[in-house]
Amino acid sequence: MAKNLQVPILYFLLHLGLIFFMYPRNIIESTESSHWIPIFVAVASHFILLILYLKGLSYFPGQSVISIFTEAGKVYSFLFLLPLFFYFFIVLVVSVRAYSEIIIIIFLSNTPLWCVMALLLLISAYLASLGIRSIFRAAMLYALLFIPSILFVLVFSLQNVDWYYLLPIWSNKFQFLTHPSYFKSFLAVGGGYLFIGFVQPALSFRNKDILLAALCVAPFFFISVYIPILTFGQETASTMMFPFAVATDAVNINWLAFDRITVFFLLCSITFLMLFLTMAIFTTAKILNHYIPSIHFQYSIVTTVILTFIFCIFIPNWSELEEIFRWSSLWNLYVFFTTPLLLLFLGLRTKKKGEKSFD
Amino acid sequence: MTKYVVKVFVMAAVLLLLNGCWDNKDINHRVMPVVLGISKVDQDFKVYLQIPNPSDEKIKTRIVEESGQSINEIISKISTNMESQVDLLHIKVIVVDEQIAKEGFNKIISAFLRSRDIPSKALFAVCEDDLDEFFAQMEENTSAEGTVLLDYFEKDAGWTPQVALTRVWHLYRSMYSLTHDVAVPLLKLGNSLKVEQTGSGVIKEGKMVSKINPKETLLYNAFNGESTQGIIEVMDIATVKILDDSIRHRSQVIGGRPELLTTVYLKVTVLEVEKDTSEEMIKKKLSKQLENRFNTMFANIQQKESDILAIGQLFRDQLPREELKQWRSKYYPRVNATMDFKVDIQNSGILKLKTN
Repeated sequence: MAKNLQVPILYFLLHLGLIFFMYPRNIIESTESSHWIPIFVAVASHFILLILYLKGLSYFPGQSVISIFTEAGKVYSFLFLLPLFFYFFIVLVVSVRAYSEIIIIIFLSNTPLWCVMALLLLISAYLASLGIRSIFRAAMLYALLFIPSILFVLVFSLQNVDWYYLLPIWSNKFQFLTHPSYFKSFLAVGGGYLFIGFVQPALSFRNKDILLAALCVAPFFFISVYIPILTFGQETASTMMFPFAVATDAVNINWLAFDRITVFFLLCSITFLMLFLTMAIFTTAKILNHYIPSIHFQYSIVTTVILTFIFCIFIPNWSELEEIFRWSSLWNLYVFFTTPLLLLFLGLRTKKKGEKSFD
Repeated sequence: MTKYVVKVFVMAAVLLLLNGCWDNKDINHRVMPVVLGISKVDQDFKVYLQIPNPSDEKIKTRIVEESGQSINEIISKISTNMESQVDLLHIKVIVVDEQIAKEGFNKIISAFLRSRDIPSKALFAVCEDDLDEFFAQMEENTSAEGTVLLDYFEKDAGWTPQVALTRVWHLYRSMYSLTHDVAVPLLKLGNSLKVEQTGSGVIKEGKMVSKINPKETLLYNAFNGESTQGIIEVMDIATVKILDDSIRHRSQVIGGRPELLTTVYLKVTVLEVEKDTSEEMIKKKLSKQLENRFNTMFANIQQKESDILAIGQLFRDQLPREELKQWRSKYYPRVNATMDFKVDIQNSGILKLKTN
């Protein structure tokens, strides 16, 4: 039982790490009012993709996505596994670069960028090199240590809300569906679920638990956007880079010995993000290892990390990063939507074949 | 064995790297001012920092001042000239002079929020006196525990509901929000008291456009959900103390004109009373007095198009967003606001009151 819970817990933490920084801004940029509609659409598609993916995986018990695609043939492996590889790699580069910039903007203003990036990467790479079981055990520990303080910050950030900012509830405008920022926000929505395909056969999980974890994550999509909206209002929140961090900055707790609860919150989310990076490094290295089986798995991790670091160094500033984000978001969407569908298709095909051969 | 040594070595190295002390300055090499004053002299800003300086037995305050073209430039100047680094992380109160307030402090406020050096929850106040004198007085009058100005605003110390509590992020919100302005407390050097509160400055989009008195500030606080408990209301026939208040709004747009009916439920206790005054008389008199006060204040702020009561918030779902963008100029001046005070006398103290 305890073993089964590791996967859903990691799933939960990965999303918490992704939600609180870029996601609120992207949603606030993509629409002017009634933010729950775009969030709801995103959460609904999250569930649809997840259910399809789990359904597809269930046709291949105990197999990882890599072996499924390889068995399906060279064409599939080229069309879908390779994009998956590039997706993980780009996400890795972009998130390491973006989050080190965030760390520098918010609290380590005097630390050199390369140093923050190196630390983020090294710790994640070390964890990834220990193997999938260690990653999941670490996730259990992180959950015990950090979820209480995340909840504490969330409860107290309700201090400054003005509920009238919820109004108007309904809006007939659906322009957000074509807004570039909305595509970018999909990283938080779809970034985490693909990893589930890589945990088998090392770990097993029950689909019900994963769906439960997704259900637990769903409110956080709303909370992360609505706390800044209810504190500042759309007009003001849209002027901020990280609206959620600014909203927690404004929280005033007299009796707490610490002046700014933002730091707690930030450090917790950064640890969760490191789990995300760990999983990204792990999967990238796994796929790399699959294509070049002659090198040892540990070395493919080292290669991935060095390549990531070099690419990160070559992104000079935030506007370049935004540009890369914009382009990669389309790629991400392709991966998010095709992978589960293809998996389902392959699953149904093998099932038919199996039935035929059984006849 | 060698593997073990390497492992220990790596762990020790990581320990050195991970502690975050990259280029830290120790606490004894930092000064942490609590009050920041900004005034304008010709085109230049002048910055005052009030720094608590713990010495034997009591805390002394030290005032440092410097002028320059931008706040950040001045701070770095002070940092260079002082023996320690100035760290603005613990600024609690920011005081600006009237000139800045009238010209608008958009630039200052955005700078504070952008750099995150100054906490966005620092309190903001406008000083009606010259800041030179104000800070000189502050330096003289230091209490044993710390800073007078800070205690003045602390909810668990000297704050009363007649003082507006406005933080830096409130002002930032007021700069952009379509329907939400704020009032900032006005300070003055007092005669017998160190600081005197003369009311509140009415802010519109980051500029001070008018003033309201302390009694009106009480209504502002009540409107914004701050408790007004403990406030004393004086009438010719009686003096009462507010025990509890709650507020309810009803808003609708009729023919393009926003109509607002606000009911305030007050619970009071009687402190002093003239002979032969009945409960009914006190209730009537008090609600009349408060109503008049509200009407005067509202006429004043409505004329200046500053929505410090956040009335626009109540119309968010009744006006489309495009219309809401013109809230301050088009709709707000035409708001028909009626304030109804329902007073209830919870008790009359230990003495009886005439019943009819």
